[in-house]
Amino acid sequence: MGQLIAAPVRRQRFGPQNLVLGLAILLLLFLVAYPMLWLVLGALGVPAELTLSNFDRAFTRTQNYTALANTLYLGLGTGLLSMVFGVPLAWAVARSDMPGRQVIHLLVALSYITPPYLTALAYIILLGPDAGLINRLLRAVFGFSSGPLNIFSMNGVIFVIGIHVFAFTYFLTHSALKSIDKSLEESAQVLGAKRWQTTLRINLPLVAPAITGGVLLSVIDSLALFGPQAIIGMPAQIVFLPTRIYATISSYPPRWGEASALSLVLVAMTIIGLGLQRFFLERRSYVTIGGKGVRSQTIRLGGWRWALLAFCTLVVAMSAVAPIGVLTLTAFSKDWIAPPSLSNFTLAHFGSALFSDQVAARGIYNSFRLAAGAAFVAMAVGAAIAYLDLRTTLRGRVFLDYLAMLPLGLPGTVMAVGVLLAFIRLPIGIYGTIWILLIAYSARFIPLATRSVSATLRQIDASLEEAGRITGASWLQSMRRILVPMARPGLLVAFLLVFIPAFSELSATILLYTGGTETIAIAIYRLNDLGQIEVVCALAVFTIAVVLVLSALVHVLSRDRTAPSEGVG
Amino acid sequence: MAFIDIDGIGKTFGHFQALTDICLSIKEREFVTFLGPSGCGKTTMLRTLAGFITPDAGTIAVDGRLLSEPGAALPPEQRQMGMVFQNYAIWPHMSVFENVAFGLRIARLPDAEVSMRVGRVLEAVGLEGLARRHPGQLSGGQQQRVALARSLVVEPKILLLDEPLSNLDAKLRERMRVELKALQRRTGITFIYVTHDQAEAMALSDRIVVFNKGRMQQQGSPRDIYERPANLFVADFMGLVNRISGAWAGPSQVRIGAHVLDVTSVASSRTGAVTVASRTGAVTVASRTGAVTVAIRPEALVPVTGPVEGRNLIEGTVLDSVFLGNIVDLSVDIGGAELHVQADRWCTLATGDPVRLAVDPAECVAMENE
Repeated sequence: MGQLIAAPVRRQRFGPQNLVLGLAILLLLFLVAYPMLWLVLGALGVPAELTLSNFDRAFTRTQNYTALANTLYLGLGTGLLSMVFGVPLAWAVARSDMPGRQVIHLLVALSYITPPYLTALAYIILLGPDAGLINRLLRAVFGFSSGPLNIFSMNGVIFVIGIHVFAFTYFLTHSALKSIDKSLEESAQVLGAKRWQTTLRINLPLVAPAITGGVLLSVIDSLALFGPQAIIGMPAQIVFLPTRIYATISSYPPRWGEASALSLVLVAMTIIGLGLQRFFLERRSYVTIGGKGVRSQTIRLGGWRWALLAFCTLVVAMSAVAPIGVLTLTAFSKDWIAPPSLSNFTLAHFGSALFSDQVAARGIYNSFRLAAGAAFVAMAVGAAIAYLDLRTTLRGRVFLDYLAMLPLGLPGTVMAVGVLLAFIRLPIGIYGTIWILLIAYSARFIPLATRSVSATLRQIDASLEEAGRITGASWLQSMRRILVPMARPGLLVAFLLVFIPAFSELSATILLYTGGTETIAIAIYRLNDLGQIEVVCALAVFTIAVVLVLSALVHVLSRDRTAPSEGVG
Repeated sequence: MAFIDIDGIGKTFGHFQALTDICLSIKEREFVTFLGPSGCGKTTMLRTLAGFITPDAGTIAVDGRLLSEPGAALPPEQRQMGMVFQNYAIWPHMSVFENVAFGLRIARLPDAEVSMRVGRVLEAVGLEGLARRHPGQLSGGQQQRVALARSLVVEPKILLLDEPLSNLDAKLRERMRVELKALQRRTGITFIYVTHDQAEAMALSDRIVVFNKGRMQQQGSPRDIYERPANLFVADFMGLVNRISGAWAGPSQVRIGAHVLDVTSVASSRTGAVTVASRTGAVTVASRTGAVTVAIRPEALVPVTGPVEGRNLIEGTVLDSVFLGNIVDLSVDIGGAELHVQADRWCTLATGDPVRLAVDPAECVAMENE
């Protein structure tokens, strides 16, 4: 055997693969890590000083302390509501013979996708202490002299947020109940257990982790919902952490350090919640052992099914039908106090919302282009991070994956504080432009895109790309001609999953917009302050329509997505 | 000089040592099979050859051209190899024609030549008339042929096959086996084939390389490896085997209970302490003391009535006898050990019958205990 005389193997340090993926990593660091770094530095008083006094102030100043207590109380309240509403509905739809189960399921989904600040606006129309439609009805029927219900209260905030977040408990419990194989229950019945004994001793323990996980998720989401907290809480002078952070930054001069410290407190609460939620949901794994061949048992309720239906109808009426109904009616009425009739019908409010009102029209335009831009950036970065995680052996890819998931635990208000601190001093003048909103949206929703693309990539076996490489295609060619075409429906879903929440984003926008960069949510928020209820409702209906259509599209695409790759095996 | 030179390849994933010091020379037009249980390193070695994995140690060269060295590897697309994947990896968004034409299109061949070569290769693998189909409309066997056509159309010098038959049903697997072998002879392409199925390996290969725990255990012709396994792992993996514990009783004799057998020794690859004693002449060895294991294939034991010249004879009692159609399966108690015997189908021995078994000393392979 002769000695090899060969040129050394060409090392591709700066090949297109490293270039593309490296760029995505830099973008992720710029969008997520850099603002988060500033949030921590800001809380420590940088650049002026280095101190822990901001944390001291966060816990001792009365306004801050009250906000913290209110936020915790809010979490407890919504968590409780979430369980009381979510669990019975999930059980009724998943396991009982109650009529109208499909409709209830769809309406829960509808209450979930309706932006909660719109539900809050609807309930001001319904339950405002003087003019509220329900209050006026109650006064007319029972002869109260005033009230009797007032949405501008702590219970009002808990209620409005509760009827949004109970969907988390509902969906997790529903899928857990659906995944219990009937053999588990039948085994108990064969051993002589009665129906209620089976439910209590077999079903409940099996789905308990899902319930706990759902309730925790509801609580975490409640803490961060700036919209209802501001729209209902501020007039009632009830302050929560996000609204307190907003006030701290809107004050003159802005108290950055205090806002950052409060943000970190909010983040800590969120992370503790997410940690607990993960802990509970991981124990859930044994429920899903049944896999695909799950047959679930339907329980016959007899006459009780009508009572259950009444309860379920009440919940979805409160969470979806009434708020969306009243927003729609108001949007089409000349006079929102008068009852609906043909003579009271008008399209004028849509005219002003979409065309003549400067702020509203600009808001719609800005929301569309921001949502599209953020969806594209988040999808691209998410795709690259998912690819790095699943297809390469890069050291530190797990860290990148965590970083891409981090914003999931960051309330919009917190993200905005971080972005503000990070870019306000940067010489590139993006503060006060639409770019700062694009950065905040992209950063906030990168996790949604990453998770979605990751699920898509898991369905596409790596050998499909490898087959391209060994047949002569470069990395770029195998991406363009094999992976991207195959992943296209999944990438579109990722795009939409970011577009939808970005389109109606409020909690980060409120801290970052300026005149000229208003979004649809800002238009709604500001016009509401000005008392232009009808135009607000027209905008709200428009927003819900856009969100609804795109969500339906996601649903259809996700259902079809599994089909083409089945042939791959 | 060999066509493919694999020299000292090593690879670790985290703390897992996937490959250790793999050295192998492969001739042009050879059909070589990497055989071993799952996780033994055979697929890792194949993927290192393809350029999907960069080795930590060692080099790979083809035709004198260095392809892989520690920390660097020529990307797969520049290696002029073909590969057939276990799941076929047919692109579901392309028709059969587009799948097969892919490599030619990447190489920017003119359309006329692409059509001609695709047509020719589809005919060669028996897929004529299916060019417009989409993968979802094909059976497993047809997808397999598409995968073959796709890698053959670019006329690679080396074709890598990663368990290509494992997803097919038994009958189809047998047919594809014959076709693969014929294809390899016809095209003269060097085939490197990975499987965990020893029957498949024996049917196809010029040479088998047995892997276990990331190490090469033995390489040789199918007959070599079956008849003279280098160690107990190989003996076990290549088929049914009786493993009988005994003690050395002479330079090439082992005592098992009351019997003393003439045996053949094969060097243990692990210790290297024993040299070969073959049919042609015994070679004395240092460590011929203490415990030893003798491996005997069940079909090498033949029930006989009288003495047979040059054979070991073992007396025993039939414990169980099962008629299986083509053979009769016997369990035989030989005092201190139980032997599994595959007798021909005319054997009428029943439980309790005394039996005398004859076995060629060359079939009694003595191995150091591991």
